[in-house]
Amino acid sequence: MTQTMLGYQNKVLRIDLTKKGCSFEPLRMDFARKYVGSKGLAIRYMYEELEPGIDPLGPDNKLFLTTGPFTGTPVPCSGKLSIAAKSPATGTMNDCSVGGHVGVRVKYAGYDMIIFEGQLDKPGYVLIDNDKIRFMDAEHLWGKGSHEAEKILADQYGPEYSILSIGPAGENLNIMSCINCDYYRQAGRGGIGAVMGSKNMKAIVIRGTGGVKVNDIEGTTKRLFEILRNDVVNDDNQFIFDDGTTAFLEACNDGGILPVNNFSDTTDEKWTEYNGEVLNSYRQGKRGCGSCGLGCGNFLKIGNAICEGPEYETIAVAGPNAGNRDPEKIVKFNEVCDNMGLDTISCGDTITWAMEMTESGRHDFGIKFGEADKMIEYVEKIAKLEGVGADLALGTKKASEKFGGEDIAMQVKGLEYPQYEPRGSWGMALSYAVSDRGACHMRAYAPNEEVFAASIPPYTPEGKGQMVYNLGEFNAIKFSLCICDFWGTIDYAIMSELLTRVTGVEWTEQDMADVGRRVLNIGRAFNQREGFNRAHDTVPKKIVRDALQNGPAAGQVIPPEAFEDMLNQYYEIMGWNQDGTMPDELVKSLL
Amino acid sequence: MKRLKFKKEKCIGCQLCAQLCSAFKEGEYVPSKARIAIETTYDNGNLKYHDHFCIICGMCAKACPVDAITVTDHIEVDFDKCIGCGACAEKCPKKVVKIRDEKAYICDTCGGDPKCVQMCPQNALTFE
Repeated sequence: MTQTMLGYQNKVLRIDLTKKGCSFEPLRMDFARKYVGSKGLAIRYMYEELEPGIDPLGPDNKLFLTTGPFTGTPVPCSGKLSIAAKSPATGTMNDCSVGGHVGVRVKYAGYDMIIFEGQLDKPGYVLIDNDKIRFMDAEHLWGKGSHEAEKILADQYGPEYSILSIGPAGENLNIMSCINCDYYRQAGRGGIGAVMGSKNMKAIVIRGTGGVKVNDIEGTTKRLFEILRNDVVNDDNQFIFDDGTTAFLEACNDGGILPVNNFSDTTDEKWTEYNGEVLNSYRQGKRGCGSCGLGCGNFLKIGNAICEGPEYETIAVAGPNAGNRDPEKIVKFNEVCDNMGLDTISCGDTITWAMEMTESGRHDFGIKFGEADKMIEYVEKIAKLEGVGADLALGTKKASEKFGGEDIAMQVKGLEYPQYEPRGSWGMALSYAVSDRGACHMRAYAPNEEVFAASIPPYTPEGKGQMVYNLGEFNAIKFSLCICDFWGTIDYAIMSELLTRVTGVEWTEQDMADVGRRVLNIGRAFNQREGFNRAHDTVPKKIVRDALQNGPAAGQVIPPEAFEDMLNQYYEIMGWNQDGTMPDELVKSLL
Repeated sequence: MKRLKFKKEKCIGCQLCAQLCSAFKEGEYVPSKARIAIETTYDNGNLKYHDHFCIICGMCAKACPVDAITVTDHIEVDFDKCIGCGACAEKCPKKVVKIRDEKAYICDTCGGDPKCVQMCPQNALTFE
């Protein structure tokens, strides 16, 4: 039997929505020893419990809310919650990470993990008050925006409770729908909101008043004082408090990776009209997640638009990528997406694709670049499946299969591109292609090396397999410890030291690397079982066909053979076959 | 006399203060038992600050019917005398006194070196 570790609650809450019952069971410590927590643990459980070929929107899919050993402790930036399920957008595994305070509340309620199974017979929400679970009626909330629903529940239950909710998009099983928390934080990608919607579950309301025990609490806590002051709240990371992710706008624009007009170009000379300086002049306050040290959230109001953010991704997709420069409309797009329960990246990319389709005369979706008001109207249509919204609710992959324009559909495996132009950062094309849930920037963030730090030349396939692997391995363990992306200076030495201190079990730096590699592999193993292989690790044709015209990356296009070269490198490093499949012994070693 | 001070424009609502308090007072990270509770929530499109922390005003001591609370440069509760009646909690203007197991738990500013201040990442909490 695997040794029990401190930092964990050693308890899983399993909720059967069909039977309206629940049970408690110990956490699989053998899984925790190999996958630690959060992201990795969720994927391992999914591999164990989700039969291959199940319908992501059927009763056999499950929703996994997973914390880690640091959740609920003062390890800085450790308050995030992993929400995972098989994705209705891609058919792959999908783990999302959401901030706010729900993560620590799941842990304080006494759980490492909460698993939702089956489906409610009619709209409801689940109330989790420590070890008391109640199934509540949600007829009065169904059809309401996520913000409206959260307000009703927040007024009813008060500030000690966190609320996860979906909007109309999730209710309508939209494959771009998200789950909201604390109004403005999202588990955003891969249609995770539709999984909740398919379970007829409008919301999860949770309170936890318990605690977390760790090894040597006094020594651990005193060490955390030092780490907070020396390694977290320092000059390298302070931009997160000062600017949030708006700081990336200038860096991406200057680096030639800011997408313009559905990834038709990069670099926008008007970027100062909607940059951080402009947006943050409307700031009302700051807000971070539970256990955060940095506080990236900028709560702001411009005119009648309000949001916490907007984050870089949303600024780019509703700004230059949609031909819009009006900051108020960027914020409004953000607000409406949140309230409708739509992922700003996928929804935004789908609308910018429709804009290019219309302008190029391939299909008239009735919207062109720069029509920002219409873009905001389209968000609601997409969420409610009204008119043209029903077509666009398919997302770029399925919509382009129906209407043409697959070459300009910016997606991999059915998940739309985040806002980093790969022709200005070639490794990003590989990163998007091999990401286990489709195009995601949180797996291996290539621009950091290729553009911002300029540690490796961007316009070459050389060394990109190793670079994407290194970045991916690092994020895989970091997110399995549920450490936020923005603690940029953490390293394996700090991770292993803290994990040893908290759990009371020895972890080495090599263990961190090994867990990271294992997490990358278990995601791939899940997908392989679903039929995924090299043929699905793709790049949109636009990226390998059309040269960029302007900016620092002008003239750049990724030759198809260079893309294939990067894939070959990556597979070799991962120990995969050249057809993208995994040797049987590798899969066995993960279990 | 030094007191805790709170600057809301610097607060990010992380609740590290409550985690730290409970670590040193309760031996686990359990904010619900902390002697400080500062958090932020959204309400009607506004960011609201809930700042429950001891300002050493002494109202608790005045309300105590059994003289269990003494105020010097910090507050001390004599558990041998405390009967857990809750009179102190009722009078506390910052709503920071917690009654548990028939005893009153009140912030003692860690005897002059409050741990919550040490861990406050953006220096929203100070002791001055």
